[in-house]
Amino acid sequence: MTRTWTRWLPAAAVPVVVAASVTLAGSSAGADELPDRTPEQVLTLLASHDHQPLSGEFTQTSDLGLPSLPGDLPGTDDATTGVLTALDLIDSDHTGRVFVGEQDQARVQVFDTFGERDVIVDGDQAWFYDSGDDTATHLTAPENAEDAEHTQQTPTLTPEQLAQHVIEAADPSTALTIGENVQVAGRTAYDLVLTPRSTDTLVGQVSIAVDGETGLPLQVTITARGQSDPALQVGYTSLDLTAPDAGLFDFTPPSGTTVEEVTPGQHDGQGIAPGEQSPVEHVGTGWDSVLLAPAGTLDLSSQPVLAQLTTAVDGGHAVSTNLLSLLITDDGQVRLGAVPVEALQAVR
Amino acid sequence: MPGDRAAGGTTIALLASELRVLLRRGRTWAMFGALAAIPVLLALVVFFSASPPGPGEGPPLLDKVTQNGMFVSVTALVVTTPLFLPLTISVVSGDAIAGEAGLGTLRYLLVAPAGRLRLLVVKYAGAAVFAVLAPAVVLLVGWAIGSALFGVGEATLLSGDVIGPGGALARSALVALHVAISMLGLSAIGLFASTLTTVGVGAMAATAVLAVVAQVLGQLDQLAWLHPWLFTHHWLGMMDLLREPISFSGLTDNLVLQAGYLAFFGALAYGRFTTKDVLS
Repeated sequence: MTRTWTRWLPAAAVPVVVAASVTLAGSSAGADELPDRTPEQVLTLLASHDHQPLSGEFTQTSDLGLPSLPGDLPGTDDATTGVLTALDLIDSDHTGRVFVGEQDQARVQVFDTFGERDVIVDGDQAWFYDSGDDTATHLTAPENAEDAEHTQQTPTLTPEQLAQHVIEAADPSTALTIGENVQVAGRTAYDLVLTPRSTDTLVGQVSIAVDGETGLPLQVTITARGQSDPALQVGYTSLDLTAPDAGLFDFTPPSGTTVEEVTPGQHDGQGIAPGEQSPVEHVGTGWDSVLLAPAGTLDLSSQPVLAQLTTAVDGGHAVSTNLLSLLITDDGQVRLGAVPVEALQAVR
Repeated sequence: MPGDRAAGGTTIALLASELRVLLRRGRTWAMFGALAAIPVLLALVVFFSASPPGPGEGPPLLDKVTQNGMFVSVTALVVTTPLFLPLTISVVSGDAIAGEAGLGTLRYLLVAPAGRLRLLVVKYAGAAVFAVLAPAVVLLVGWAIGSALFGVGEATLLSGDVIGPGGALARSALVALHVAISMLGLSAIGLFASTLTTVGVGAMAATAVLAVVAQVLGQLDQLAWLHPWLFTHHWLGMMDLLREPISFSGLTDNLVLQAGYLAFFGALAYGRFTTKDVLS
């Protein structure tokens, strides 16, 4: 038994092989060369991409630094549940799939461990389905909606003009650069990087991976100032540019599902009627801008869950994350911005 | 009993003898019986309860059971995957070598030349066959009791799409396949644990504890970087098979992960088993 150590070689070799294959898979990034382009040319590419049928899987990872949310709380009203659901969608990690078919067909699936949430759009019909509580919402666009949409789009811009406009509008506040090409979902993409010129915002940089071939946006990454890991990243993990089965967009809610019918534009009381001024104000410019909802919008004492999420600060209660801050002042004004809480407190 | 078989012979003969022993043991059938009780209990409770479970109540998909009896299988497989099934796998794989050593039969099995590697392979194959049979028992009993009590009809997938009975049958069989694959890595871990000791119970307990610990680690957000490397990471990924269009990425990712665990712990078991002194 002099050479017994050789019997352990396979056990040593396996981790080496695994590590090597993981490294190889990671380092194949940037294998394909793309012609160099300026930010403006990449924006043009992004703006000019044709309608592209596709099916793809995506992941969203978030590290916003929000306090973890209570899962199921007794005595929460619909509005609070809605807020918590929205927060959960942003704050937690998700995987799902996207399908795009003909011109106005799309389906997005968000996977839950034991369920799924689906949004299906087919022409003027839209469905939202949640398998968790077996509910569906059916939206039917008003008859003339499509025409209205078309007339609104009449002053068409060429992609080049659009890119030009975006750059001009962004330039005072944002530096646009092109980073190293990135690999997303096995495709080589330009990395369009938006860096705020302001130092007051919490946003460090936003980068958009633009597919070198089709101009499709493949991944969006938002990094908070002073952080190396992305605060929010949504991107494809696999992408197939063939048209998916048309049957996917033809949704009929399964029997036993609670269906709610909604026709936009026929809302009474809720939402903002056309012509009426939105009560939400906008203060500041660029990345430092702050949204203000007037006093009395939110009464924390009637929202125990939100009260639990916030911490008391000078002048109200605040939630601060790596990217966004929210301040609810004592008189019920809501202030939201990609700035530190101190900047929210300093408004007016 | 393990002792009364012929040592040596071809690998096939050795495997056949291993499987014969496995399937003749009262313990194996007791474990099959316990696993089969789960779909039966689930189906009976839903059948006799005054109010059927509402959406999202109880174990996953329980509310869909009344619609299509085949979901009894799926629900039972989901319920057994975290604990009951790993326990039975731990018993079979943890006992594979240690049990023979404990009984004093191991050295008779090793008289054939080049016997150790072959014995290891045969023992693993036996555990793997059990890992396929156990979910198959749950699946078949679930089909039987589900279709008897609730009938076979259309089934609603997680995506809200409705499929016919044939599709539901195929999907639940795929779920069982996913569960079987999930247990392959644990079987390899159990085999390695089994080469470390001559006390079978110790190896079984260690394997079962690892399965639970891995799942607990998988719940901790602070260890997110570790999660894709845990052998339990895709254990509940069978839900991807109930989406429309069907997503095989969970199944294939699981296969790769389990193959990695099989390679690593198989190699460790080889290193340990071929270098240790077999005294009993």
